[in-house]
Amino acid sequence: MSVLIKQRGFYASRAFALLAAIFLVIFGTAVVLLALDQQRVIDANSRLQAQTVPEIIRYQRLARNLEQLRQEGERIFAVNSHASRQQSMFVVTLIASHPSILEHPGATQLARETEQFLGEVVRQSIRDDSRPATFYGEWQRLAARLGTQVDDVSIQGVDLVTSDLNVATEAMRLARYKLMGVLLLFGLFLLAFVVLVRRHLIKPLQAIDRALSNLSVVQPAPEFLPTAMREIQAVEEAIREQHALLIQNDQARHVLEKLANKDGLTGLMNRRHFMQIAEVELQRAQRYRRPVTVAMADLDYFKKLNDTYGHAAGDLVLKTFADLVREALRQSDLVCRYGGEEFAFLFPEIPPGDAAKLAERLRLRCAETEVALPDGRAVKVTVSIGLADASECPIEIALKHADEALYDAKHRGRNTIVLAGGVAEGSQASSEPYNARLF
Amino acid sequence: MLSRLCLLLACLLPVGAAAGAEQALRVLVLDDAPPLSYRDESGQLTGFNVEIVRAICREIQASCQFEVTTQGAVVDAIAQGKADIAGVGLQQTAERQGKLIFAKAHYRSQSLWLAPRGVQPGQPGLRVAVVGGSEQESYARRQGWATLAVDTHGELAAPLLARQVQAAMVPMVSALHLHKSPAVRQLDLVPLVMRIPELAGDLAFGISPRRPALKEEIDAALDRIKRNGTYDRINSRFLPFRVS
Repeated sequence: MSVLIKQRGFYASRAFALLAAIFLVIFGTAVVLLALDQQRVIDANSRLQAQTVPEIIRYQRLARNLEQLRQEGERIFAVNSHASRQQSMFVVTLIASHPSILEHPGATQLARETEQFLGEVVRQSIRDDSRPATFYGEWQRLAARLGTQVDDVSIQGVDLVTSDLNVATEAMRLARYKLMGVLLLFGLFLLAFVVLVRRHLIKPLQAIDRALSNLSVVQPAPEFLPTAMREIQAVEEAIREQHALLIQNDQARHVLEKLANKDGLTGLMNRRHFMQIAEVELQRAQRYRRPVTVAMADLDYFKKLNDTYGHAAGDLVLKTFADLVREALRQSDLVCRYGGEEFAFLFPEIPPGDAAKLAERLRLRCAETEVALPDGRAVKVTVSIGLADASECPIEIALKHADEALYDAKHRGRNTIVLAGGVAEGSQASSEPYNARLF
Repeated sequence: MLSRLCLLLACLLPVGAAAGAEQALRVLVLDDAPPLSYRDESGQLTGFNVEIVRAICREIQASCQFEVTTQGAVVDAIAQGKADIAGVGLQQTAERQGKLIFAKAHYRSQSLWLAPRGVQPGQPGLRVAVVGGSEQESYARRQGWATLAVDTHGELAAPLLARQVQAAMVPMVSALHLHKSPAVRQLDLVPLVMRIPELAGDLAFGISPRRPALKEEIDAALDRIKRNGTYDRINSRFLPFRVS
C-alpha cells in the first residue's frame, strides 16, 4: 500500500488559463498603445490635411501678393505713362490693405511702407516725370526687403509641414519601438510557454510513460520528481497505487500457489505438484544423462497407531516425520506426501546407491525419534523405503519400481530400505518386529 | 415568380440610372460685374465668380444652369428657392444668414471710397454712387448719406462721369475694374480703403435653404480646387493679386 503524499500544486487548466489571461492583458495593452500611436499619426495627418495645408496655401498666397506688390512697384518705375503708374498704384493700395496682408504683422508693416513710398513716387512723378529715377535706389532696397519677406513667408509655410511631419515621424518611431517591444514580449511569452509546457507537462508525461512501461512487481516503486501540476500529481499517485496493487496481487498469487502446491498437514509438496516438478527434473537428468533416483516411503503400522492413539496423534506423527525428512535430506531433494502415510522422493544427481544412504539416514533418524503426544505418552514410528533408478524411465514407471521395492521392504519386515533389484546395504531387514517396540 | 422578379428589376432600373446621372443645379449670377461676373466678347458668361462656380460644379459632378439676376434680387431669389446657388460673393450678415445658407468663403474683399482728393466719407452735401442691394448701399443708408443706386457694377461709372455723384462706394474688385476706364482715371479719383468691419471680410456663395446638403459638397469642392491649383489659375486669370 503506497503512502498518499499530499503535494501542493496548481491545476494545469487554471495555470495555463492564468497565463493566457496575462498574455491577453499585456498584449491587449500593447495593441492599445500601438493604436494610440497610430491615432497620433492619423491625427497629425488629418491636421495636415485640414489645417496645415490650407495654412500653407494661405502663406503661398500672401507670398504671391507680396511678390505682386514688388512687381507693381517695378512697373511704376518702368513705365512712363502716368495712367499706368496710377493703375499700378491702385493695385498697390488694394494689396496693401487686403486682409491677406493685414493678418501678417511683418507683411503689413512692409506693405504699408511700400504703399507710402510708391505713393510718394507717383505724386512726385506728376510734377516731374523724371523724378522716379531718383527714388530707384531706395526702391531697390525696399524691393529687396519685399523679396526677403516673400522668402520668409514661404519658409514659414513650409515650417508648418515640418512640424506636423515631425509629430507623425516621432509617433511612428515610437510605434516602431513599441512594435519591437511587443515582438520581443511575444517571443519571451512563447519561450516561457514552451518551457513551462515542457517542464510541467511534457517531461512529467514522458516520466509517466517510462514508469508505465517499466511498471512491474520486479521493479521498485516508480519515483517521480516533484511537479507543480495537480493533474500530473494525480496520475503519478495513481501509478504508485497501481504498483502497490501489483505487488499485493503478486504476493496473493504466491500464497495461493503455495496453498495449491503443498500438503496442508505436513507442509510438504502435494502429489500433483511433486509429479509436475519431478517430471521436469527427470527430463532434465535424462537429457544430460545425469543420475537420478526415486523412492517411496510408508510409515509402518500407521493404521494401527491411528486406531490406538487417535487421528490427532497420527497427524502429529506425520508432521514429525515431515520435519525429519527436511532435516535429513538435501535441499535439492524433492519429497511429497503421496497419500495417507505414504511419501514419494526424488534424489537428483545421485545414483540409487547414494540415495539409499540418504534414505538410510532418514530411516535411522525416524527410528530414533520419539514423538511426544499431548497426553504425555510417547510413541516411536519406523519407516519402510523402496528406491529405484529413474535415469532411464518415465517418472510413473520409476515410482512403480520404487513402490514394488517398498512392498518388498514391507514384506521383509518393515523398517527396511529396499533398492529395486536388491536390498540396500546397511538395511535393517532382520530387525525385530516394529510393533513389539512400538508398544 | 419570374414575372415578379422582372417587375422588381424594371422598378429598380430607373432608380439606378437616376443615381448615376448628374444633378442639375440652377445658379444665379450677375452679368455686369467685371471682373467677377460678366459676359465676354462672345457673350458667354465668365469672370472670377462664374469660373469658380463652374469648377465647383465639375467637382461635384453637377450640371449647372446659369441664370442672370441683379445684386438686389439675388438674396431673395435664393431664399425663395427660385435657384439653388447664388454665384455671387455675399457678405455673411445676420439678416442674410436667416434667409440662406452660406458656403465656405471663397475670397476676401474690402470696400473703397472713390472720390476726388479732399472729398471724405460723411462729408455733408455729398451724393454717393452704390450698387443697389449691396452692403455698401446698406451702410450708406444707415449713415444717412444721400445715395444713387445703380443696378449693376458696370453702371457705376456713368453717374461719376456725369457728375451726378461726388463719390462711389464700391467693392475692391469693382473699383479695380472701374479704375481701368481711362475716362474714370481722368476724374483723378483717390482710392480710400474703408476700415469698417461690415464693409470688409469674407465673401461666400449662397445656397438655397431647400438644398442644405449642397453646403458640404460645395465646401469640399472648394477645398479641392484650392489645393489642386484650379482656384489660383482662375484668380490669376481675372485678378491681379490673390484675393483669398
